[in-house]
Amino acid sequence: MRGVRGQGSGVRGFLKAFAFCIFFFTFHLSPFTFHVLFAAEYTFDVSEIEKKPYHVGGYLEFYPIVFGLDKNAALYKLNFYDRDAGGTTEQYNGTLQLEGSLEKGISRLYVKTYTNYLNSYQYETTKTNIFEGYLSLKPSSSLIMDTGKKTMNWGKGYAWNPAAFLDRSKDPNDPELSREGFIVASVDYTKSFTEGHLKTFSFTPVLIPAYSGVNDDFGEVDHLNFASKFYFLFLDADIDFMFLTGGSRTTRYGMDFSKNITTNLEIHGECSLINGYTQTSVDGSGNTSRSTYDAVNYLIGLRYLSQQDTTFILEYYHNGTGYSPKEMRDYFLFVDKAYGMYTATGNPGMLNKAINLTQNMYGRMNPGKNYLYLRISQKDPFDILYWTPAVTMIANADDKSFSLMSELTYTGITNFDFRLRGGPIVGTRGSEYGEKQNDYRVDFRARYYF
Amino acid sequence: MRKILVVILFVLATAMPAYAVDGTKLLQQIDRNLSPESYESYRKIINVEPDGRKKEFTYYTVKKGREKVAGLFVAPASEKGRTTLRLGDNMWLYIPNVGKPVRITSLQSVVGGVFNNSDILSLDYAVEYNAEKVEEQGKEYLLHLKAKTKTVAYDRLKMWVQKEKALPVKIECLTEAGMLIKTLYFKDVKDFGGGIVRPAVLETDSPLYKDYKSIMIFAKIKKRDFKDEVFTLTFMPKMESLR
Repeated sequence: MRGVRGQGSGVRGFLKAFAFCIFFFTFHLSPFTFHVLFAAEYTFDVSEIEKKPYHVGGYLEFYPIVFGLDKNAALYKLNFYDRDAGGTTEQYNGTLQLEGSLEKGISRLYVKTYTNYLNSYQYETTKTNIFEGYLSLKPSSSLIMDTGKKTMNWGKGYAWNPAAFLDRSKDPNDPELSREGFIVASVDYTKSFTEGHLKTFSFTPVLIPAYSGVNDDFGEVDHLNFASKFYFLFLDADIDFMFLTGGSRTTRYGMDFSKNITTNLEIHGECSLINGYTQTSVDGSGNTSRSTYDAVNYLIGLRYLSQQDTTFILEYYHNGTGYSPKEMRDYFLFVDKAYGMYTATGNPGMLNKAINLTQNMYGRMNPGKNYLYLRISQKDPFDILYWTPAVTMIANADDKSFSLMSELTYTGITNFDFRLRGGPIVGTRGSEYGEKQNDYRVDFRARYYF
Repeated sequence: MRKILVVILFVLATAMPAYAVDGTKLLQQIDRNLSPESYESYRKIINVEPDGRKKEFTYYTVKKGREKVAGLFVAPASEKGRTTLRLGDNMWLYIPNVGKPVRITSLQSVVGGVFNNSDILSLDYAVEYNAEKVEEQGKEYLLHLKAKTKTVAYDRLKMWVQKEKALPVKIECLTEAGMLIKTLYFKDVKDFGGGIVRPAVLETDSPLYKDYKSIMIFAKIKKRDFKDEVFTLTFMPKMESLR
């Protein structure tokens, strides 16, 4: 555990780190880069494409973040009740993602590890996780069997996937981040058809054990769970049906689709029904209650590419397991009360209860009921290749609070990408984004692939 | 009279080939000369910026029949393992980190630069275009092609074709109103073996990307048959196993 940082050190530290990155990538690497870029002719040496039975690769990432704190927000009070963090706080992340594979005959062994160094106001930790590690057997192109730790990545949504029953939640702020998988045994059987409207059919049965030491964070332990996905490429649309049953989580059913309407417009959707979902809520005084109901979740979205190469991704997500604006307000009221009790008496009892409720329920990535996601990105503005500015808005559609991030990415140097992002988190008191601990965030990511 | 008859026969004999050229058949012949119906190949795609800086991608491609194409990025490291799939008008991109195929459109570009997805995952020209008119221009034909459906990336193509080898030399890609989107130049005809003799280099520039150009260099094009299941979403993460 680290101590509390001094005021103002966040922005200074971030700027130093940013300046270091610019210096490093501009001066240290450019002689090598320029040599490669200018010296080569238009040649294609076939030795470049020689296949090896093994592969090792991955990326190294430096990712500092500065948060501008909102001292009146409920979540600030919850996280900083016993310290003064000043106006800003910074977080430094260093990540090494390693991937390796070994192929022999019909079998392939694949491992992906994720090592993260985190230095924040709370912690300084280094953690390594095996995100994936499985053996794949491919006796034919229509039959593939995988055993081990694996991400299944079901669903068609970009920011949310209500039908991804076997995956950890996505972060809509960074939907393309790697996620840790679960230990599964799965089979993919695929059949293609040359005639008729049905072009492809795939069947994917999956076994997910949940026992002490094996997937014990998947749900209730001592169950062998079973899930399946049925995929159809029918009338030029991707359609999936899926279900999960077995006891660790309540039985759930889902469906998704995706289709290109024109050469520049794609639509997609996803829905799920979760039987017997149990929700715990808290009122303004701290009394908790539980209700059980069948939760319906759905998402509808589109991706549109304009003639000017502007990409729009728009999604609407209804989270049937989420809290209504009133329930969210009650929770924030309770946090305020707990904080008031702590400052008045020094007793953290109520705050600990609020922290517990936050960790297990209200602190989810998206605890509300209805959300909107809009991302607008402009490829190669003013015909300058490899620069992509973008704006992303994630809004709670019920209380009208939102986060708005502007970003600029650059991918012009082979095997590097750089992203600078920042923006405000906006909302009134009692709203989801208005009560987040931060008023704004600025982050920078430099990645080197090898 | 006899002289007049000889002149008429001579004029007819020399004029006949121009009228006899069947645009559709010529287009099919061009397609087969460019590649077998089912094949595998490697390509290097190079994007060149106005200041001369370059970005290169190495791409393995497999194709089957009229409407199935798939590709795998072999290099650079940042793109390695990405795969693309096209089934007729449907296109998908699989990014290993994302872990699932997402639909893409023909006008987007998975590599940036001047080539878009329909250039990279191209089908036979005869599958997407009708030959409306054939003109003779010395040692070349000029084929006027019209897209069969609205889902094709370019509404019209003007294709200059070497008569002798029935291989394209230049293609202008146009909108319905006749606006030039890009020009493709086919260069460096090379024998790839197995009876495949075709341009090894495809260059493109575009008035929409002033002073930028993109280049495709072909290698190891060879006939190969694949099962239909290779061209499915399920197989996309496993494409490396084909090499």
